[in-house]
Amino acid sequence: MILDLHTHSIKSDDGRAKVVNYCQWIRTKNLPIDGFVLTEHRQFDGESDYSTLARQFGITILKGSEVETEYGHVLVFNVTAPLVAEFDFARIDLSLVRVIEACEKHGAVAAPCHPGRKRVGMCAHIENLGVPKGVKIVEIYNGGSRGDEDDQARAMAEREGYLGIGGSDSHIVSHVGRCATRFPAPIGSEAELADALRAGNFEAITYRNQAVGD
Amino acid sequence: MTVGKITEVEFGVELPAFDPDTSMTNVRRFAKAANWMGPRFTDHEAARKEGLPGALVPGIMSQGFLAAMIHRWAPDAQIEVVDTVFRAPVIVDESYHITGVVTDVDEETGKVEIDLTVTNDAGETRVFGTATVRLPR
Repeated sequence: MILDLHTHSIKSDDGRAKVVNYCQWIRTKNLPIDGFVLTEHRQFDGESDYSTLARQFGITILKGSEVETEYGHVLVFNVTAPLVAEFDFARIDLSLVRVIEACEKHGAVAAPCHPGRKRVGMCAHIENLGVPKGVKIVEIYNGGSRGDEDDQARAMAEREGYLGIGGSDSHIVSHVGRCATRFPAPIGSEAELADALRAGNFEAITYRNQAVGD
Repeated sequence: MTVGKITEVEFGVELPAFDPDTSMTNVRRFAKAANWMGPRFTDHEAARKEGLPGALVPGIMSQGFLAAMIHRWAPDAQIEVVDTVFRAPVIVDESYHITGVVTDVDEETGKVEIDLTVTNDAGETRVFGTATVRLPR
């Protein structure tokens, strides 16, 4: 099963994509992904219900979040009510270690995203802050990366022994599915996604610079 | 190929790609017309002294390129919104490519939504956004 683990909809302040249009795009363009995770900036969208869309298009639609720490942005998977109560998702100065600890306490998984990006990526902060404790997974393919950002991310992951995931970081419809993560078994819920990530059996993939679909 | 009516538009259709003229000559012409004659737009050296990688193509000029691409595709379209997110600067005298693709079609209202992306020669997204246009029914 292939999931794009990093997408934004109009629920994010800089997102311009409607979820229904993501679904239409994936099907119309025959993208080789089975679903996507909505990781809205600095929030968890607990209200939206995309189950009807998911059934209509036969696409897995899951929800997570992208929070902001002193090490840059971090994807959080399997967000639950107890986790939301642990820290303020809207803050831009969260402690990465505390986010990871809270995630582990509540069955969630945290993964720094676009780590090679200036200011908002983890690589840029390691020199000053040191290697943070508890990181196990980082995003090594990001659809919005420029220059050698993904190379930096992969080099850091190899150096520190991190596992790698992929996500498009799409903010507009046509950018969904540029990068993704392949899992060996079907995933139907946020909890199953967290289990699969903890199991460590997955592979980051990129479709950038490739013709996909029709 | 151009379109005239909403019924001619299909979801997922790509607009004809467009390579804008970002030469210093053209940018200076635009800056003068728009009364945006700041040195950061018209002088590479002055822009670098401000810490920029080079002279910037004004944001409203980039938006104008996007609008021009839409009107090349649909001359009768009424552009209601061009909503852009600037991820990285667009530099004068560098090559860029603008692509657009239809991501929503509402035949009832005549509205079309278009994804817009400005990339450089390396394929990096510098600007992305969406446009909402209205076409005759």
